[in-house]
Amino acid sequence: MNDATEFLRPRSIDEAVAMLAAHEDARPLAGGATLVAMLNAGLIEPDAIVSLSGIEELRGIQAQENGGLRIGAMTRHAETAASALFRDGQQVVPHAAGQIANMPVRNMGTMGGSISFADPAIDYPPALTAAGAEIEIAGPGGTRRVPCGEFFLDWYTTALEPGELVAAIHVPPAPAGSVGHYEKLARVSGDYAIVSVALVLAMDGGLCSAAQIAVGACGPVPIRLAAAEEALVGSSLDAETLAWGGAMLAEASDPVDDVRGSADYRRRVIPRLLAKAVAAARAKMIEEAA
Amino acid sequence: MKIEDSFDVAAPRERVWKLITDPDTVAGCVPGCDGIEVVSDTLYRARVSVKVGPIKASFNMEVELTGETPPEEVRSKSRGEEGSRASTVSSENLLRLEEIDAGNTRVFYHAEVSVVGRLGKFGLGVMKKKAESLGRDFAACFKEKAELAETSA
Amino acid sequence: MSQAVALKINGVERQVLAGATQTLLEVLRDQLGLTGSKRGCNQGVCGACTVMVDGRPVRGCLSLAANCEGSEITTVEGLAPAGKLTPVQQALIDSGAVQCGFCTSGMVISAHWLLQRNEKPDSDEIRRTLSGNLCRCSGYRKIVEAVASAVEGGKA
Repeated sequence: MNDATEFLRPRSIDEAVAMLAAHEDARPLAGGATLVAMLNAGLIEPDAIVSLSGIEELRGIQAQENGGLRIGAMTRHAETAASALFRDGQQVVPHAAGQIANMPVRNMGTMGGSISFADPAIDYPPALTAAGAEIEIAGPGGTRRVPCGEFFLDWYTTALEPGELVAAIHVPPAPAGSVGHYEKLARVSGDYAIVSVALVLAMDGGLCSAAQIAVGACGPVPIRLAAAEEALVGSSLDAETLAWGGAMLAEASDPVDDVRGSADYRRRVIPRLLAKAVAAARAKMIEEAA
Repeated sequence: MKIEDSFDVAAPRERVWKLITDPDTVAGCVPGCDGIEVVSDTLYRARVSVKVGPIKASFNMEVELTGETPPEEVRSKSRGEEGSRASTVSSENLLRLEEIDAGNTRVFYHAEVSVVGRLGKFGLGVMKKKAESLGRDFAACFKEKAELAETSA
Repeated sequence: MSQAVALKINGVERQVLAGATQTLLEVLRDQLGLTGSKRGCNQGVCGACTVMVDGRPVRGCLSLAANCEGSEITTVEGLAPAGKLTPVQQALIDSGAVQCGFCTSGMVISAHWLLQRNEKPDSDEIRRTLSGNLCRCSGYRKIVEAVASAVEGGKA
């Protein structure tokens, strides 16, 4: 415990940004699921904790006119998992939210907090990457929006500059008739993923008409490959095509060796998990058509 | 964890040897190292800071040369403690220079690193990736210095 | 820096003095003597510290006390005022589902919340809800059976 740490309670984003700027090593506190775990482990010693709990602007999920969604950064995993606002392939996001950790942690953790830490093995980065989401960042210079590919930069590293925070996540409308699916391979329920595949998929007359795929936990940032998606689109999603797309994704991966699995194991799992995710997504399509 | 890699330098082996055994040149290329103190011919002290995402650590390192075969091989041991906190990093290192031809040298390095304490909780997988990337940064910096020294010589 | 924090704990208004990085769990155990909630991993994994904040189970060890200002907190002590046990607590005893007891208070909070929301959860739902509470005696089977019997008892 650091006795010198200040605890601050801003009421607006602007006030929070000013407080972050006024301290050398201030940390915004969202749900606490990650930040407090790191405090407890002695991994960080901020000089100020800026609680975002009192900022109304950061709450809630709103449907936009174009069918997109604006998810406030302080939206908790449990709320996202239970939301009925996600349509078509956007559902990859709540599907992932429901698989994060366990019930009490989903009652605490927030989307903004989760992606700001950017642990490569967490569930939102691949789901949001597959959904084509953009991150709205608030900072001293106002707000800016960046796509996931420009937000997740490296191991535990995002585009957030000192003094900035995630204000919201924007999920665009998914292709009409698409479904979303998040396939997570983990040692036990609630653990971090060994490998995960997030998918937005649409079929038209037996052929794949849209495929947005992101692989999680297999590199510093989620892997999304235009070539792999192009290989799937127009195909019947036969085993051979999926193996080819999966091989491309495995080739692009840079997994770690750790207690959850070796890098080699992860590379082998990617194509199989992709095939499993596609099969599950197609089963959802049949279910929804029935 | 084991870290190993190699890189090529467009300079003769004798020159690479001279630079890679020069504490100031080496310290200047270690990412996060702010200066080196030469305690004796075989003992150096340095302060090295590393950062992974929000986690920052700063180590008081002691490097001891345990054997050298000029101009081919240097062996060393290093040990670092993190100020008031409870992390320790230690490693056994081997550096080998191989002559490709009269003007080119291949540098191999191999280190067996262990991390104990609060940072040990962070997961060795990502730490290894970080160490590998620091190794590449070192190589790029050293290469530049050695090749610049070569052209200006 | 410590600051005064107002919390409503088990229905009683309390003022505590908490440092910025002090967790709700530390305050409950060390300042208020409510030692029913346990400190296991202190990383949010084991679930032994689970308490309810504003009606939802959360991790006491991942909640900063200062951030709970104005919240209503229910700990295992608050479920059995005057010693009258909840159906889940009674069922755990009757089924012999308590071994070392370290995980029990967290299990009780999670199961109690489940039965508040759903009077007739099936065995899968019980397991899913309790998946965030680890029992290192590995007495899961008895615990799930106990919660299921509390469901049946409630129906009777």
